[in-house]
Amino acid sequence: MLASVNTLSIVFGTIFAPLAAFLIAILFLMRSPRLAQAIVLAGAALSVTGSIALLLRGPVEPLRFLWFASGDIQLRFGFLLDGTSLMFGVAVTVITLCVMVYSLGYMSHDPAKSRYFALLGFFAWSMLSFVYAVDLLQAFIFWELIGLSSFFLIGFWYEKPSAANAARKAFLMTRIGDVGLFIGILLILQYFGDFDIPGLLNADSGLVSAVAPATLTAILLLIFVGIVGKSAQFPLHTWLPDAMEGPTPVSALLHSATMVAAGVFLMARLHPLFMADETARTVVICVAAFTALLAATMAMVDRDIKKVLAYSSISQLGFMLMALAAGSLFAGVFHLITHAFFKALLFLCSGLYIHHLATNDLEEIGRRGGRRMRFTTVGLVIGGGALAGIPPLSGFFSKEEIFAQLGHDGFTLFTGAAFAAAFLTAYYTFRMVFLVVRPAGGDCGDLNDAQPATDGGHGGRAEPWSMVTPVVFLTFAAAFAGFYGTDIAAGLGLSPAHHTLASALPAVGVVLFGVAIAWLDFGRSNARRRGFIAAVPALQTLFVNQWFVDAFYRAVVVRSTGALATLMHWTEAKVLDSGFDRLALTILEWGKRATRVQSGWVQFYGGCAVLLFGTLALCLYLDVGIGGG
Amino acid sequence: MPLLSAIMACPLIALGIVLCVPATAVRLIRWTCALSALAAGVLSLHLWHSYDTVAGGMQFVERISWVPSAGISYHLGVDGFSTILVMLNSIVFFTGVLTMWDLEHRVKGFFAFMLMFVIGVYGVFLSLDLFFFYFFYEIAVVPMYPLVLIWGSGNKEYAAMKLTLFLLAGSALLFPGLLAIYHAAGLNSFDMTLLAAHPFDPEFQVFVYPFIFLGFGVLAGMFPVHGWSPTGHVAAPSAVSMLHAGVLMKLGAFGILSVGIRILPAGAVYWAPVFAVLASIGIVYGAFVAMRQTDFKFVIGFSSVSHMGIVVLGLNLAVLGQAGVDALNGAVFQMFAHGVMTALFFSIVGFIYDRSHSKTIADFGGLGSQMPRAVSVFIVAGLCGAGLPGLASFWAEMLVSLAALKTYPMMGVAIIGGLVLTAVYILRVFIQAFFGPPNPRWQGLRQVDLAGWVIVPRALLIGVLVILGFMPRLILDMINGTTIALVENLARLEDLNLLGKF
Amino acid sequence: MTLQTYLLLGLILFSLGLYCVLSRRNLIGVLIGVELMMNAASLNFMAFNRYSVNDPATGQVVVLIIIGLAAAEVAIFLSIILNLYRNRRAIDVEELRELRG
Repeated sequence: MLASVNTLSIVFGTIFAPLAAFLIAILFLMRSPRLAQAIVLAGAALSVTGSIALLLRGPVEPLRFLWFASGDIQLRFGFLLDGTSLMFGVAVTVITLCVMVYSLGYMSHDPAKSRYFALLGFFAWSMLSFVYAVDLLQAFIFWELIGLSSFFLIGFWYEKPSAANAARKAFLMTRIGDVGLFIGILLILQYFGDFDIPGLLNADSGLVSAVAPATLTAILLLIFVGIVGKSAQFPLHTWLPDAMEGPTPVSALLHSATMVAAGVFLMARLHPLFMADETARTVVICVAAFTALLAATMAMVDRDIKKVLAYSSISQLGFMLMALAAGSLFAGVFHLITHAFFKALLFLCSGLYIHHLATNDLEEIGRRGGRRMRFTTVGLVIGGGALAGIPPLSGFFSKEEIFAQLGHDGFTLFTGAAFAAAFLTAYYTFRMVFLVVRPAGGDCGDLNDAQPATDGGHGGRAEPWSMVTPVVFLTFAAAFAGFYGTDIAAGLGLSPAHHTLASALPAVGVVLFGVAIAWLDFGRSNARRRGFIAAVPALQTLFVNQWFVDAFYRAVVVRSTGALATLMHWTEAKVLDSGFDRLALTILEWGKRATRVQSGWVQFYGGCAVLLFGTLALCLYLDVGIGGG
Repeated sequence: MPLLSAIMACPLIALGIVLCVPATAVRLIRWTCALSALAAGVLSLHLWHSYDTVAGGMQFVERISWVPSAGISYHLGVDGFSTILVMLNSIVFFTGVLTMWDLEHRVKGFFAFMLMFVIGVYGVFLSLDLFFFYFFYEIAVVPMYPLVLIWGSGNKEYAAMKLTLFLLAGSALLFPGLLAIYHAAGLNSFDMTLLAAHPFDPEFQVFVYPFIFLGFGVLAGMFPVHGWSPTGHVAAPSAVSMLHAGVLMKLGAFGILSVGIRILPAGAVYWAPVFAVLASIGIVYGAFVAMRQTDFKFVIGFSSVSHMGIVVLGLNLAVLGQAGVDALNGAVFQMFAHGVMTALFFSIVGFIYDRSHSKTIADFGGLGSQMPRAVSVFIVAGLCGAGLPGLASFWAEMLVSLAALKTYPMMGVAIIGGLVLTAVYILRVFIQAFFGPPNPRWQGLRQVDLAGWVIVPRALLIGVLVILGFMPRLILDMINGTTIALVENLARLEDLNLLGKF
Repeated sequence: MTLQTYLLLGLILFSLGLYCVLSRRNLIGVLIGVELMMNAASLNFMAFNRYSVNDPATGQVVVLIIIGLAAAEVAIFLSIILNLYRNRRAIDVEELRELRG
C-alpha cells in the first residue's frame, strides 16, 4: 500500500507537515501549550517518516512547477531528490525530532512554550524546503527563512537584552553574507538565464560552459561569501558564539547540525561548479583552513561549555569546507552528517548539565557533580570522542576521509593545518571532558541543588526521560554512524577512498597526542588545570579575546555606519530640510516687505494713480504701441 | 454602469451621503464609508479578475466628450498597471477606514475629505485624458492639507503647510509641461493614448521631460525633493499616513510612467542616467537617515523615501534598454508591495499610538511582552521592508536589483547593500522598542492589545503581503504583459539613436 | 483769447489742485484741491467747446454733468469727514492709515 503513494505526496507531506503545525500553533494554540507541543511533534514525526521513506525509495527525477515569469525569465520551484538531499534530509528530520522531544523536558517550565514549538516547526519547514530545493532561487528564499527562524529562536527570551542583541547580530551578519550570495545568484541569472540546479551543474550545457572563467570565479566567490556568513567562517563568524544566548536545544539544532550546515550543503550542491574553478577552490580552502585553526584556538581557552561547542562547530565546518574544496564531495558530506549527530549530542548533553546544575561554566559543572549524571556524561564522552576523531567512533571515519583527500591533491600546507586543527580539536574536546569528569578537588555539589543560570536551573530529576532518550539515541548514532560510510558514498554515487591501517595512523597519532596533553593539563589528579597555552600569555590573551575580531568590528564597522548615518541625518536636518524651510521663509519675508506699499496713506495712492495715467498719456502721445498701436 | 465609473462612483456616492447627513450621525458616516470601500474593493477584485492579460492593452474603456473645442473628454481605461494600482487603492481605502473607526473628533469632515482624496486617486489611475488626469491629481493632493491640519498630531500646522506647498510646487512645475505637450502635439486633444502615439520632436522631449519628471517626482518622494514626506507622515493621522505613503506617493510614480515615459520616451531615455543616480542615492540616503530617527513614524517615513527610490530607479532603468522589462516589472510590483506594507506599518503604529499616546521609540522597551500581537504585526511589516523572501517586497527588489546589475553594476551592488542597511534600522527599532525588559510604564497595555475585529485590517494587509510573497504571479503576470508591450515600444527608439547620449 | 490761453489756465488750475490733493494734511484741503481739479477740467471742456467742436451743446452738457458729480462727491466726502471727526477727533491724513498692509 505504501509503495503506491506517489513520491510527490510524500515530499509534500514531509515538507509541509511542520508548516501546517506551525500555522495551527501560532494562530490558534498560543494559549494551549500541550496541544501546540503535540501538534508540532506530530508534524516532525511525519517528516521523519516521510524523509526515511524518500531515502528508501532512492533518487528520482526532479519535480518542477512553474512559479512565475518575468520577461523571458522563468522561475520554477520544485524538489531535487538526489543522494545528498535525501541523506541530509533524513539527518535533519531525525535530529529535529530528537531536539523537539528533548525540548519537552528542557522547556517544561517556560511560559512561552507554544511560541517555541511553533518556531521550531517553522524552522523545520524552512530547512527541509531548503534541502530539497531544485531551484537556486527557491533555495535562497528558504536560506533566508532559515536565518529568520534563527533570529526568532536566538532571541526567544527577548526580554534579555543580551539575547535580543545576539539575535540582531546573527541576522545582520548572515544578511551581509546573503548580499554576496544574492548578487552571485542574480549574476547566474544574468549570464545563464536560469536557476535550475541540475541544469546549472550539467557538464555540457551548464554554467561552466556558458560563462567566461573570470565571471565564474566572481560568481563562485560571491556565493562563497554567503556561505561564510551562514556557516560562520572567518570573518563573519562572531555571531555564532553570541547565538548561544538561545535555548540549548536551539543551539543543538540550528547552530551545530542544520542551519549552519546549510552553507556547507550549498557548496556540496554546487560542488561540480567549484571543482571547475581553481581560484575559487583555493580561496575556499584558505579561508576554511584558517577558520578551523582560529576557532579551535578560541575553543581551547573558553570556560563556557556552549561557547566551546560553538567554536567547535565553526572549526568543524571549516573542515568540511576544506574537504569539499580539496575535491571530495563524499568527505564533506560524510563529515557533515556525522558532525550533525555528534555535535547535536554534545549540545544536548551540555543542556542537561545547564538545566540541572544551573551553570554554563565547565569548572562549575564539574564541581557540582556533573559526572554523576550518567547518561549525560557517557554521551559527552562518546560525542567528544567522535568530535576528536577517536576510532572507531563516527568522527574518526569522516575525518579520515578528509585527511585522505587533502593528502591526495597535493594540498600539503593544508594537510598540515588540518592536522594542527585536529590536534587542537582533540585537546579542547578532552579538556572539556576532563573538566567535567575530573573536577578539581572532587565534586562537592548535591545533584539536587538548583540556582538560576543562563538558561535557568530547575529542580526536579536530573535526567528526565524526555531529555535522556534523544541523548541515548544520538550516542548510538555518534558511535556507529561511521560504519555507514560506504552506504553514504554509494548514495552520492561515489566510492570512498581506500584506506589502509598505515594511512590512518598519522591522524590517530595526532588525536591521541591531543588527548594526552589534555589529560596532562586537566585530567591528572594533580593537574595544573591551566591550558598549556597559558605559558604564552600573549597568545592566551589573544585567544581569550577571540582575536579581537569583535572589538575590531565594533570599533570600525559599527562606528563608521553610525558616522555615515549621523552625517546623512545632519544633511537632512540642516541642509535639505532647513534649506527648503528657509526658502519658504524668505518668500514670506518678501511678501511682508511688499505689503509696505499698502501704506494706508491715501495721497500716496493718489500720486501713484496720477503717475500711471501720466505715463499712459505720454505713451499714447508718443505713439508707443500699447496693444495694437 | 460601466465598471470603471462604478468603481469611482462608490466613494462619490458615499461622499454625497456623508455631506448631507448631520455631523452627529457618526455611526452612519462610518458605515457608509466602510461599505463603499467594500463595494469598491469587490469591484476592483472583479476588475482584476476580468482583465484579459492575454489581450493586453487598454480595456474597459469609456469615453464621454466633455469640452470638444479644447479636446477634453471624460476618458477612462485600464491596462495591467492601472488594474493593480486600483486594487491597491481599494485595499488601502478599506483598511484605512477601518483603522480610523474610533475617531470621534469632527468625523464628518474627516471622512468627507478622505473620500475626496480616494476619488482623486481612483481618477488618476483610471484617466486616459491628460486634463482629467491632472484634475484628479489635484483633487487628491488638496484634501491632505485639512486632513493633516485638523486631525493631525504634533507639529501639524507646519507639516500641513510644508506638505501642501511642496506638492503644489511640484504641480506648478508639472502644469506648464502638460500644456506644452498639448500645444506641441497640435492634435487639439488631451487624450493620453493619442499623445503617446504622437512622435514629439526629440529636442522638445528632452527639454520638457525634466519638468514632468521632477513635478511628479516631488510626489513620488524622490531625493532631493522628498522633504515633505517624512514630516507629513509624522503629523498625519494614521489612515491619512496610510493613504499618503501607500497610495499618494504612487501617484507620482504612476505619473512619471504614464505621462513621462509613455508620452515623452526620448526625453526619458536621455535623462534616465541622471535620475537613476538620484534615485539610487535616495535609496541609501533614506536608509541611513532612518537609522538616526527617534520617532516610529519618522523611521517609516524615511523608509518610504528609501523604498520609493527603488520604484523610481526601476522606472528609470526601464528605459535604458538592457533590462527594461525586469526593471519595470520590479518598479510596478514595488509600488503595490510597498503600498500595502507601508499601510500596514502606519496602521499598526497608529494602533500603538492610540493606546499609549507616544510615538517616541525611546519611550518604549520590551513592548513585545506587553503587546505581543501588535508587535508581531510590526515585525512582519519590518521584515517585508527589509526584503525578506516570502514577503511581497522581495520580488520587487530582486527584479530591480537584477536590472540594476545588468545596467550599472555598481549601482546594483549599492542597492543590494541597501538591504542590509534596511535590516540595520529596522532591527534597531525592534531592539529598542520591542525587545528587552518590559517598561513598567506600559503595564496596562496588555489588555488593549490587538483583539477582536480590530485585527481585520492588519490581517488583511499581512495576508496580501504573504500571499504575494509566495505567489507573485497573481499580479506579476498582469504587470508583465503591459511591461513587455511598453518596452517593445521603447525599443523602436533605438532608431533615433538617443540612448545614453546624456 | 486763444485756445492755448484757456488750456494754459486750465493746466495751471489743475496743477494747483493736484498739488493741494497730494500735499495737504487736512482732508478739507484735499477736498478743495479736488474741486479745483474738477473746475480745471470743466474749463478745458468749455475751451475746446468754444474753439474746436462743431456742436456747442456737447461741452456744456459735459460741464453740467461734472458740476453735478462734484456736488454729489462733495456731499459724500464731507459726510465721511464729519464721521471721522466724530469718531477720532482728527482729520489729519497722516493719522488715518488703518487700511494698510
